[in-house]
Amino acid sequence: METPAQTLASKITDRLTKEGLIDASAAKVLQSKLAEGKLRAEDWQLPIETAGQKKAVTL
Amino acid sequence: MSAPALDKLTIEHLRGSVRPFTLPFERSKKLTVVYGENGTGKSTVCDAFEFLGKGKIGSLENRGLNKTTRYWHSLGKKASDIGVTLQTRDGSQCRATLVKTNVVTHPVANRPQVEVLRRSQILALIEATPSNRYNAISRFIDVSGVEASEASLRDLIKGLNVRRNEAVAVVEANQVNIQQFWENAGKAGANAFDWAEAEAKRDPGAADAELPAINKLQQAYARLIDYPTKFANAKKRQESAIDELELARTEAQKCLQSIAADAGEVMSVLESARTYLAKHPSPLHCPLCESAENIEGLDQRITERLSTFATLQTAGKRTHAAEAETKRADVQLNSLHQQAQTDAASFEDARSAFAWSTDIVMPAATAPAEIEALESWLTDSSALPAFWNQAAAERQDHKRFVGTLKLALETYRENVEAQTDLDALLPKLKQALEIVEEERKDFTDTILAQIAAEVGRIYELVHPGEGLNKISLELDPARRASLDIGASFCGEATPPQAYFSESHLDTLGLCVFLALAGLDGPENTILVLDDVLASVDEPHVERLIEMLYGEATKFRHCLITTHYRPWKHKLRWGWLKNNQCHFVELSKWTNQQGLTLIRSIPDAEQLRTLLAASPPAPQLVCAQAGVILEASLDFLTQLYECSVPRRAGGNYTLGDLLPSMNKKLRSALRVEVQLLDPVTAATSYQSVALGPILDELTRVAQARNVFGCHFNTISFDLLDSDALGFGQKVLELIETLADAEAGWPRNSKSGSYWANSGETRRLHPLRQPN
Repeated sequence: METPAQTLASKITDRLTKEGLIDASAAKVLQSKLAEGKLRAEDWQLPIETAGQKKAVTL
Repeated sequence: MSAPALDKLTIEHLRGSVRPFTLPFERSKKLTVVYGENGTGKSTVCDAFEFLGKGKIGSLENRGLNKTTRYWHSLGKKASDIGVTLQTRDGSQCRATLVKTNVVTHPVANRPQVEVLRRSQILALIEATPSNRYNAISRFIDVSGVEASEASLRDLIKGLNVRRNEAVAVVEANQVNIQQFWENAGKAGANAFDWAEAEAKRDPGAADAELPAINKLQQAYARLIDYPTKFANAKKRQESAIDELELARTEAQKCLQSIAADAGEVMSVLESARTYLAKHPSPLHCPLCESAENIEGLDQRITERLSTFATLQTAGKRTHAAEAETKRADVQLNSLHQQAQTDAASFEDARSAFAWSTDIVMPAATAPAEIEALESWLTDSSALPAFWNQAAAERQDHKRFVGTLKLALETYRENVEAQTDLDALLPKLKQALEIVEEERKDFTDTILAQIAAEVGRIYELVHPGEGLNKISLELDPARRASLDIGASFCGEATPPQAYFSESHLDTLGLCVFLALAGLDGPENTILVLDDVLASVDEPHVERLIEMLYGEATKFRHCLITTHYRPWKHKLRWGWLKNNQCHFVELSKWTNQQGLTLIRSIPDAEQLRTLLAASPPAPQLVCAQAGVILEASLDFLTQLYECSVPRRAGGNYTLGDLLPSMNKKLRSALRVEVQLLDPVTAATSYQSVALGPILDELTRVAQARNVFGCHFNTISFDLLDSDALGFGQKVLELIETLADAEAGWPRNSKSGSYWANSGETRRLHPLRQPN
């Protein structure tokens, strides 16, 4: 059964993705670490810094 | 997939079960009420569920027993004798035993999820400290992992803000520095940064090449400086050597003139003889003339003769030394000439090897190859080394300045870039943090609101319309893992503990427990409520029971133990809907038998059994039928507000009740009895008039007293069939009026008839006809 932290982590990553702050691929990686409390500062910075970059290159 | 329904629970030697005890569960009934007076073993049944599901026995906790495992087994048994087995309708089972102090469950996968609430714990959550209250519900709202990750994000933003501020400060400091450099340099160019960029781009090679050239020039010049002194010294040495040589030669000449002309050769012969005699100290004859005559003392005489030649010898040595010194002085002087010539050429090489800037002053003349001319040349150019030092220092300073300027520009650019990057990143991180905070708060608030709403909903079922259902659960923002409980009392928000009555608090405690248990996979949860009704006051018990009936359906199974006697009787009389309820009764516990079950048989079923007996007992039939008829008439006369004689104690006889139901009412009374097609499972209603039944009962009612209540000779004249007819009619009435499973029609919500649970009975009319 999903823990409250896992449920919340899923909501948060969905929202961050929707707001364009992280990419969907990063959301999957972030989600479990977010729930487990294992997201360090650098784990936050990189996906937010690089969000949307691939898209821009493709365009 | 929900867990399978329960079949039976077997308890072996746990607490009161001195003998193995089995509690069977009725098929398709999710609520089991275990009724028993105090000391019948109700808590042992609850303990067994807790032992199986939670591996503990909570009823012994907080009794000052320390480790309670030693008291878990029945008296006279061992811990290893304990066994609790739950069998389910799908044929599977789960068994728990005690191994040393550990409860071992097999198979673990079948271990049931059990929640137990005991009367002693009912207020635990309400009266707990906010932190303990939080712990109790943390499994629903524990998002500490997300909170830790959120703290990392907050720290990141804090750290990057510091970095941004530092970058801004560095940018400002570098701006000031570059501006200062520009001003010092005379404000060349359009602005400080254009100038600085141009300066930084300038070729550093010129200064880099000029500095070693100056250095080389300085070294070449320095090598020339000492030559005049060295030359003077060498010259002086040469002159001294020549003087000494002349003196030595004069002295030697004088010595030679004072001795024989062949003195030199004689001295040589004597020295050779002394050398010979040193090797042959005792010769027999002279080695020169071979005479032995004067051989005695020859060695001493040779030494004496040689000493007369010592002055000549010394003069000769002095002359040799003076000649050697003269030669060395000549060599040194020549060498100095050559070195000076080479170093002068080196200086000229150094001078001509570089295209000097105009500020580098050179000697007016070339460095002379002749050492004698060097001194005046050096004198003429003696001021130049200081100029060259200054020029080198200026070039070093400029080089350092360009380095500093470059560094300032580089640092400026890096920090402007860092600031720009951070200005782009920080708002995104802050937005992410806001989202995380918002979602977390929303998540916990929503769950707490759901729990609070559920508590309020359940509470309202027991205390309808009392306005006490506005329960709130709030996390204390100032303290971590701290939960406050609030309620509305007389329109004021207040902690319930402050103003609620004991009974209201007990209900609230039960409602909180039910709401929490209902959130945690209720379809898989066995809910055990141990004697919780005892804490509720009488007016609310019935509604509490109704509420429990309703809530129990959510769970896999609900087991309630009670010693509340009215519940037993209300069930017996079908006053409570019991289609969901499996009612069992425990008899008095003994240390020989342990727990034992009694079957509680509803009165209507007892009557049916008595009528079916062979031969039937008229007296028992009439007595049982009379009680049921009184109960039925009591129900109908209250429902239709019939007039009966007012009497102290309110004990009404059949003679009071039957006449109070007048003709109009009797003819209007009818019951729609729901019929179930066993094949199609379709339902339909059959209308049964009660009037004829009541009329017939009025006619034969005397049978009750004649047969059932007293010794009466009149009974001698009556037939047993009259008594049995009375019993049959009462059974017809009760089976028409009430449903053994769904109870009596007490609900008027339809607006046109009274109905029982599931509307298996619809009683018309709603009101007594005028």
